[in-house]
Amino acid sequence: MTDWAEPSDFKEWGKRMFALRPLLIFILISAIFILELRFDWMERFLGSYLVTTNLERPESGSIWEKSHQTRTAQQTLEKILTDRQALQREARSAATFTQIAAKVSSENGVMLSADHFRQLYMSLAPTIARDIISPLDLLELVSTGRWHRTYFEKSGSGLTVYLLDADNRVLRQLELKSSLLSQLESGEVTLTGDLGELPNFKNRIYTADQFFQSLKSFHEEARRSMVPHPDLLLAAPGQIVRVGISDETQSGFIELGFEFIDGNQRRVLIVQGQEWAVWRLRAHLEGLERENAAGSTDNSKEDWTLQ
Amino acid sequence: MSLFAAFVRRFNIFFYLAMTLAGLGALLTAGLFFFALRDLPQVPDPLGRIIETPPTEIFAATGERLMLIGGREVVPLNRISPDFIEAVLATEDHRFWEHHGLDKLRTLKALWITLFERGKIQGASTITQQLAKNLFFSYRRAYMRKFRELLVALQIETQYSKREILEAYLNQIPFGIGAYGIEQAARSFFGKPALELNLAEAALLAGLPKSPTRYNPYRYFERAKKRQQLVLARMLAVGYINAGQAEAASQANLQLAPLAAGRPRGSYFLDLVLNDLEERYGPEVVYHGGLKVSTTLDPQQQAWAIESLQSGLQKLDQLMGISSTDEFDAPNSQSHPQGALVAIECNSGAVKALVGGRDYSETEFNRAVENNRLPGSGFKPFLYYAAFEKLKLSPTSVFVDKPISIPVAGAADWRPQNFGREYEGPMILKRALMKSVNAIAAQLVERVGPDVVIDVARRSGITSSLAPVYSLALGTSGVSPLEMASAFATFATGGVQHAPFWIQRVEDPLGRVLEEHIVRGQRSLDASIDYQVVDMMRGVLTTGTGRVVRRAGFDLPAAGKTGTTDNFRDAWFTGFTPTLSVCVWVGYDRGVSMRDVNGVGITGGRGAAPIWADFMINATSGEPAREFTVPSDIHFASVDPINGAIAGQWVQNRVKVALRSGQEASTVPVQSADQMTGKTSTQQVDEPSTQTLDQPAIEAAEDSAIKEEELPPE
Repeated sequence: MTDWAEPSDFKEWGKRMFALRPLLIFILISAIFILELRFDWMERFLGSYLVTTNLERPESGSIWEKSHQTRTAQQTLEKILTDRQALQREARSAATFTQIAAKVSSENGVMLSADHFRQLYMSLAPTIARDIISPLDLLELVSTGRWHRTYFEKSGSGLTVYLLDADNRVLRQLELKSSLLSQLESGEVTLTGDLGELPNFKNRIYTADQFFQSLKSFHEEARRSMVPHPDLLLAAPGQIVRVGISDETQSGFIELGFEFIDGNQRRVLIVQGQEWAVWRLRAHLEGLERENAAGSTDNSKEDWTLQ
Repeated sequence: MSLFAAFVRRFNIFFYLAMTLAGLGALLTAGLFFFALRDLPQVPDPLGRIIETPPTEIFAATGERLMLIGGREVVPLNRISPDFIEAVLATEDHRFWEHHGLDKLRTLKALWITLFERGKIQGASTITQQLAKNLFFSYRRAYMRKFRELLVALQIETQYSKREILEAYLNQIPFGIGAYGIEQAARSFFGKPALELNLAEAALLAGLPKSPTRYNPYRYFERAKKRQQLVLARMLAVGYINAGQAEAASQANLQLAPLAAGRPRGSYFLDLVLNDLEERYGPEVVYHGGLKVSTTLDPQQQAWAIESLQSGLQKLDQLMGISSTDEFDAPNSQSHPQGALVAIECNSGAVKALVGGRDYSETEFNRAVENNRLPGSGFKPFLYYAAFEKLKLSPTSVFVDKPISIPVAGAADWRPQNFGREYEGPMILKRALMKSVNAIAAQLVERVGPDVVIDVARRSGITSSLAPVYSLALGTSGVSPLEMASAFATFATGGVQHAPFWIQRVEDPLGRVLEEHIVRGQRSLDASIDYQVVDMMRGVLTTGTGRVVRRAGFDLPAAGKTGTTDNFRDAWFTGFTPTLSVCVWVGYDRGVSMRDVNGVGITGGRGAAPIWADFMINATSGEPAREFTVPSDIHFASVDPINGAIAGQWVQNRVKVALRSGQEASTVPVQSADQMTGKTSTQQVDEPSTQTLDQPAIEAAEDSAIKEEELPPE
């Protein structure tokens, strides 16, 4: 800034006042203020600049916090739902109660349709099925039209099954104890009493000797299909005295009843053999029976088919 | 140097100085700008994202929405009353359509006032700045915060149209009483959509955001009215309305909607639901997850429950001579007794109504759930059930009502007394329960043992901690009204216990099911013994301590039990029909005595039973009379209430009792249990003890005052 000296005359005053530099400065400053007031160019300029930096800036502030919380909540919900749906999906694809029991945790039960339960129930051996719920009771429930869904819940090491109406009220509560589930897994069930008391078996009861003799005549693969879990029979205490073959076929299986005697107590262990194999075994046993009948005119041999 | 030359010289110096300062200022501002830019929040795109949080909705069993948490009821500008838009613009930012986020003239004026007028702070925030503040910043006053707010406002103005900005603003401003956004506010304050607001209503609402609490028209109507007139004056000044319109709007009668219309009904119930949801899913999911929650609440029953409790407590106030203060001040929880009511559907456990106090706005403490108070004689049904089950006693078993003393190992003898220390001598157990005789209850608990009583209470649904002491049978362990209603529902269903529940179903925003309640009952009590206890409790209503229920006009088959604690601190009545179990408690929060103006104590029969009756009359209106299911091995006999012998027609006060198979009423007078067993640790006390009434359950003060009525045949 140069030191200012007073003009000596009016001409000098005029020259200085209307010089180009002060005029330009005046016009420039005035223009800046007027244009700003009129067109808000500074705000627009800053606003535009901020728009260009928008994506680089942090997602902070109350609205973003809320947004993050919403996102977290949605992720949590999604996880809960995904887990639940996966569980439901696996349960829906389960073909046995044992498979469902394996899926259900103590925190999460599964809901299936009434029809699905009926399918699972129908796939059971009649002896086991009756042990869970009588078919007639189930029929009665079906006929009322109130049974809509079935809920499976873990209870201890077993399974509790609730047959529900449309309002989720329990129509019938069934308990599938762990022992029963083990039997379902292995396909065996133990009943007290003897084979003669079981109507399914009473037409085809053979001595243990005859049964195992006949079994021995088949090759190993067929024998495994006839008695899939011999270990169960081995593990059972007592001695096998009679073996019965059921009259009924169930989803490709036929029940075999092994009557054990243990001291004074008799009990029957039921296992399921594959239908095709048991048919062959049965035919073989019946063949032997006919041969024996033909060769025993003098009654020298005991009739070994016990009724 | 001439004067003019001196002026020019100084101006020249000042000019260059100003220019230098302006330059420095510009540099400083630029520095500040880049400093502020570092953590300037990102602006969401689109701006509508601010309302993307899905609201959590809570529904009643009828499907009616009870509560909306989070989210906004967003409406476009064309669904908002133009009067309201103009009122807001006139009040908050009348140059909104002209500026670009900053009203420079207003800002300079505000700056001048703030700087040069002492003690005054003038605000000049535009609507855009307010929106920026509401979306991103705290309400803390700070210059840097204001500067950042301004920068965000500038960006918003550049990025969005004026209509978008105004729409976003109007849909998120707070109006108080939990209303955010104009649509919610219009519905809350005037029970109508935002589009239908008239000028007077619009002006009132437009004045609220400045200070929603200070101008709350429900609490400070005059203040709100003055603010409305100020808004109208602004609208007139800006030219949106003429003087005639302003005058008409100012004189218009404002019809505020009842407060309940804008607030969730059954708030104690909703607290219970929210607490439960938070425990299961966490607060984040509850408040930001957009859950759809179906509850068990019946809004009609809830309304009746609130009404019955409030009117019952007002009557109690009158009875106790407590004057209410002016109409705007709610009864104080310290000076006025409080109350709670819980109604549970017996055959499911669904909570249909729940009120945890006389006024939620005054105190949010949920006495229906969190307040464990001594139930007094209300606990006796568990004792009688235990005695029937363990000792094979029957309602006709005879005990002697006499002063007794029960030895307690390592402590002084327990000497429970009847109210007024009056003893009636021999009587059957049914009569003992109906009249709530403490001396006989004490004899029973001594024989049964407190552990057995606890077991029965647990099987019935009591979950609170219970002390295994003799006095337990007289209700010395605290329980909540919810537990009592639930446990008595077990009696109502013939011994099938349903856990109480209030959440029926939870879904995510897309309607996918997260959980649903399975209504499962568990047989926990023997049906026949249960029926015997129920039959005895029916007697409580007909001729016992709860007969006020019948006097009040409730005539459906029902059973129940009163309860009153030491020094009249708590008054209970828990009763049930075959379908609905309801518990009512009244008492002071600080546990002081409740007495009427004559000094007579308030009992369960006087304080709680009338509320129960009032509620039940409404809640069961139109319902057919349903009897309790009688088990097949139950038969009935009419007996003498004194000696238990079969009573012929000539016995005036005979009592009908329910007996199980193998239990027959005797044809000759029955001896008391003492006489039959010949030995008991219970000692008869010759003279009534002079010690103060230490038993927790003192029953029926009014009954003592009323001369004993003859028990008519049932």
